[in-house]
Amino acid sequence: MSELVLAPWRRAPGASLRLYLGFARLAFLKYLAYRLRYYTGVVSYTIFVTGNAYLFRALFASRPETAGGVEIGGFTLPEMITYIAVSWIGRSFMFNNIDRTLAHQIQQGEIAMQLIKPFHVQTVTMFEAAGEAGFRLLLFTLPIMIVVVPLFDIGGPPRAALYGWTLLSFLLGMVINCQLNFLVGCLAFYLKNIDGVIRAKAITLDFLAGVLVPFSFFPGWVQTLAAWLPFQGLSYVPVMIYLGKRAGPDLASALLVQAAWAIGLFLAGRLLWARAVRSVTLQGG
Amino acid sequence: MAPLITVDRLTKDYRLTVRREGVKGGIVDLVRPRKRILRAVDEVSFTIDPGEMVGYIGANGAGKSTTIKVLTGILTPTSGEVRVGGLVPYRQRQSYTRHIGVVFGQRTQLWWDLAVVESFRLLQRIFEVPEDRYRSQMAFFAELLGIDEFLNQPVRKLSLGQRMRCDLAAALVHEPRVLFLDEPTIGLDVVAKENVRGFLRRARDTLGVTVILTTHDLGDIEQLCRRVIIIDHGKVLYDGLLEDLRRGPGHRLRLCLDLAEPVTAAALAAATRDLPVQWESDGAHRHCALFSRAETTAAAILSRVLAAHRLRDMALTEPAIEDVVRRIYREGLQPGQEANLE
Repeated sequence: MSELVLAPWRRAPGASLRLYLGFARLAFLKYLAYRLRYYTGVVSYTIFVTGNAYLFRALFASRPETAGGVEIGGFTLPEMITYIAVSWIGRSFMFNNIDRTLAHQIQQGEIAMQLIKPFHVQTVTMFEAAGEAGFRLLLFTLPIMIVVVPLFDIGGPPRAALYGWTLLSFLLGMVINCQLNFLVGCLAFYLKNIDGVIRAKAITLDFLAGVLVPFSFFPGWVQTLAAWLPFQGLSYVPVMIYLGKRAGPDLASALLVQAAWAIGLFLAGRLLWARAVRSVTLQGG
Repeated sequence: MAPLITVDRLTKDYRLTVRREGVKGGIVDLVRPRKRILRAVDEVSFTIDPGEMVGYIGANGAGKSTTIKVLTGILTPTSGEVRVGGLVPYRQRQSYTRHIGVVFGQRTQLWWDLAVVESFRLLQRIFEVPEDRYRSQMAFFAELLGIDEFLNQPVRKLSLGQRMRCDLAAALVHEPRVLFLDEPTIGLDVVAKENVRGFLRRARDTLGVTVILTTHDLGDIEQLCRRVIIIDHGKVLYDGLLEDLRRGPGHRLRLCLDLAEPVTAAALAAATRDLPVQWESDGAHRHCALFSRAETTAAAILSRVLAAHRLRDMALTEPAIEDVVRRIYREGLQPGQEANLE
């Protein structure tokens, strides 16, 4: 008798999408169950924006008045406050803890429970992040906007079409952020203690994404450096689009660069994941 | 019958960093870490036929879990080959995992924050279980495991016993051909253990699934498996029937007699001097004969004793499988058992 053969099995593409959307839905439900945790976040984000807004008010007030009004690094004060508000609003949407969660699963050996399932772990992680982002958008970012926008009298972009481009740019930023977090999480396969790396990454990211201060405040070489890194796509690029400071071909190339980073980092994550899973020992053996 | 699972000279090495002592050692470690190779599984080979339920046992660190992790596609072996139904687990992971179910007793595959039923619905989607098959499987689990009682509770609120029942159901909902159980009764109380064992017996008989079971509780093995593979220090020590292990020449039965009148051990030894029996006494009335099934029988001993003494009560006990296995871990195989090694 010939060997009993298990049929090779492949999921149809449509079924794959439905499955992965199921993960997004479950992540959304999971965060919905923990929504109380986010109410305090609305307060802390408002405080961040308020603190930064007053800091820049003081900075602008300290400059002597000129004919065209005070301008620092190419920003007027209202623009600056809009920059701060929009970048924190964006951050509230795209932030996630994929890196921490993944690192924890790897270190505790729980990742084994994912590896025994017929799906692609990185893709599942991405769709779960999308579910979380959906939750954040509705129950975290929106409340923050409702508080912050009237509080600081934040105006819309110069042209209505920019709402759409900004949203698209923030979505790409969110994808880039997910890929970066996934890569950092994967390092847990190789490093015993990943917490330090994660913390360092979080601080570097807020700075290099331009959440804290726009790059035009810094020397030229910092701007050049930032332009060659993926981080500015998280915050600086979408906010500059919102402010109307990226127009025409600049706007198109900004979005294309973001998309390129999103794809490139996804592929890097795929590679690192495949390598790590093949070569590394899991805990609890 | 052609085997379903073929493990051929499977070897798995782990690279460990060995820390040096002291501050100086710590600094040297930073520059030049010292690596040591630990061979967790060493040229292990066995085959398993469809429908078999095999116990895979060994002491802590013997290599059980590593073998299971290679068989489930989680780990890639250092050398050797594993094939299950023609598939290589660690190369065709997605295709392969569609056909297997896995329970790691120490972990759960359910989504911690969600109601149990949400996990099952997701598993249905992951494994593409048709709705009618899903319903009949869930009815089977409701009947045998009673999981319908807590389908709407979040997993984190379940007791360990309830969670294990759900995990067993989760591992079988897609009707896998092979089921891997790594310590499925760990931490469970006596009743919960019985439930799990009863369920596994029914699952084996009804679903016809091939099962590999690792456990420290040899009660699981005794009640479920005819065949055991014993592994120690990464090597297969024994592969054969549990019954042969127990009935092997090295293992002795114990026939305990309660006699109506006080008798000395010497008198009993005299009565059975033509038999290879060793007597142990517990007071003047109670004496136990230790003998090997290969050499004599309980009937022979009894007939000698009854010829001279009046018996009040008696009990014949098999050697506890724990004792047998403990002896194998300690001393290796008895002569006679080696024939069973492949």
